Amino acid sequence: MNDSIKKHGLTREEKLKIIHSKGADREHVLAILLELQAQSEMNYIDEETAGLVAKEIGISLTHVFDIITFYAMLEDTPQARNLIEVCTSAPCYYTKSGTIIEILERILGIKMGESTPDKQFKLSFTECVGACDIGPVIKIGDEIHGDLDEEKIRQIISNLKAENQ
Amino acid sequence: MLKTAALLLSGVGETNPASVEDYIKYGGFKGIRRAVAMTDREILDEIKESALLGKGGASYPTGRKWEQLYNIEGDPKYVVCNADEGEPGTYKDRELIKHAPLRIIEGMLIAGYLFKAKRGIIYIRGEYRNITDIFAQALENAQKAGYLGKNIMGMEGFDYTITIVNGAGSYVCGENSALLNSIESLVSRPRIKPPHLAEVGLYSKPTLVNNVESYAGVAVLMNIGAQEFKSYGTSTDGGTKLISLSTHIKNRKTYEIRIGTSLRDIVFDEELGGGIPDGKEFKFLHIGGQAGPLCFPEQLDTRYCYEELKDAGLTVGSGAIAVMDETVCLVDYVKHVMSFFAYESCGKCTPCRIGTTRILELLTKFTTGKAVPGDLDRLEDLSIHVARLSLCGLGQAASTAMDSALKYRRDEFIAHTRGVCPAGTCKMD
Repeated sequence: MNDSIKKHGLTREEKLKIIHSKGADREHVLAILLELQAQSEMNYIDEETAGLVAKEIGISLTHVFDIITFYAMLEDTPQARNLIEVCTSAPCYYTKSGTIIEILERILGIKMGESTPDKQFKLSFTECVGACDIGPVIKIGDEIHGDLDEEKIRQIISNLKAENQ
Repeated sequence: MLKTAALLLSGVGETNPASVEDYIKYGGFKGIRRAVAMTDREILDEIKESALLGKGGASYPTGRKWEQLYNIEGDPKYVVCNADEGEPGTYKDRELIKHAPLRIIEGMLIAGYLFKAKRGIIYIRGEYRNITDIFAQALENAQKAGYLGKNIMGMEGFDYTITIVNGAGSYVCGENSALLNSIESLVSRPRIKPPHLAEVGLYSKPTLVNNVESYAGVAVLMNIGAQEFKSYGTSTDGGTKLISLSTHIKNRKTYEIRIGTSLRDIVFDEELGGGIPDGKEFKFLHIGGQAGPLCFPEQLDTRYCYEELKDAGLTVGSGAIAVMDETVCLVDYVKHVMSFFAYESCGKCTPCRIGTTRILELLTKFTTGKAVPGDLDRLEDLSIHVARLSLCGLGQAASTAMDSALKYRRDEFIAHTRGVCPAGTCKMD
């Protein structure tokens, strides 16, 4: 992902480019929204962006928000630069995703559902991401990290901090 | 007897998954070549003869499903591949998308040819965005090699394309009618059936919806022939099956097993699961996904095939096998499963939306030492209502795991009403 884009948010032209590169039609509305969200600064779809999508693919703004608020991966409020999602489905939960949560909360100094004051990180839950062979797992953007221990989590976080500099 | 095979996963690890040349080395596109030399009737008979059962969860015979759509008038017909693999504990479609995308494409191509469809659509869950590129690359290569696009394999008028549509995180979307709604850009709430999707499917046109593994299975059986394919399984459940092992088991991996292998071998054989790690005792396994039943030690000699599992009250389901050791409290486990369904319920129908929440509240009474003996009856009563009145498979199956726990391990629930958690994990205040 292009970090300079992420840092400054997307211009209207850049958003249009994404919409059209994904097909600019109704069938691809989820792919379009996911990509716009991934490249946004705070991992969400703001009203202006939603309006642009609605106009380009020919559906109403209400329809776009119906979609954003229904699907778990889409957000309509600012999250954080890095959204860390901990899988809590049974295969991860019973291979001690709770321990991973404790470690993350301790390292970041926040609780699940909260963001760090600098809005660099937010902790949240997700259901199964299909990586039960390496559980417990966390998902950050499209990346899935598994077979976790404290050292590995510290490394992931420090890498993200370095990327955000 | 060998327990594993490499049909669906043939060539994995030795090939570039998106390369048409590599795929052809492993028998790729032989299935479609055989198909185009056959009559439509022969193709349908071949698929029926193979005893391939659908791999999306319901184990409906693929040949019968295809024949039903074939007999329906209507144009265009759509071919849809359900790659919205969302059952917790399941990661086998992921392996096919990642390692054998062209096999999926070939299966969808055979369907496209038979139904004279112009469009195939594969719906890949949003959580698999990081592997969607591999599939897109495979599509591009197949098109370049003349297996997609216009005049496929030089045949005049054989035009067919496959489009990728991404999901965005919705378990209920794996339900086929919900998935079609999602492709149409609607929110993925299930439709009321009938009408059947074969008649009124995508954009209200006749539509075939199959799972990723089913399409790959069609490509394989059309390649090696129905008889050989069937010989890997049983006479009523042919071929091989991808299973995903997870949680308290040594080898957490997707295996391609010969259908008919026993559950005991799947869990304990060194070639497969390899047993329970850390010297712990096996307690139960959760088979077929969160929507499936629990399987206890006394049921382990059941063979993994549709009929024997069904007779034992078990299911193939999604292919997930989550193994739990003695440290897991059964009541806590079914509570966790119920919290999943309460969260994923789409809210369209009341029995599922409210019922899953009420069951979750009751189960929480058990795990916090607040349950009274009458709560057992209340659980069963609610379970019946939610299962019978819910609109789609999500609500209908939400209490399957709990029902099997109540049937075979009622004592563990009763102990909780007396303030005792036998596994010692519930805080009973």
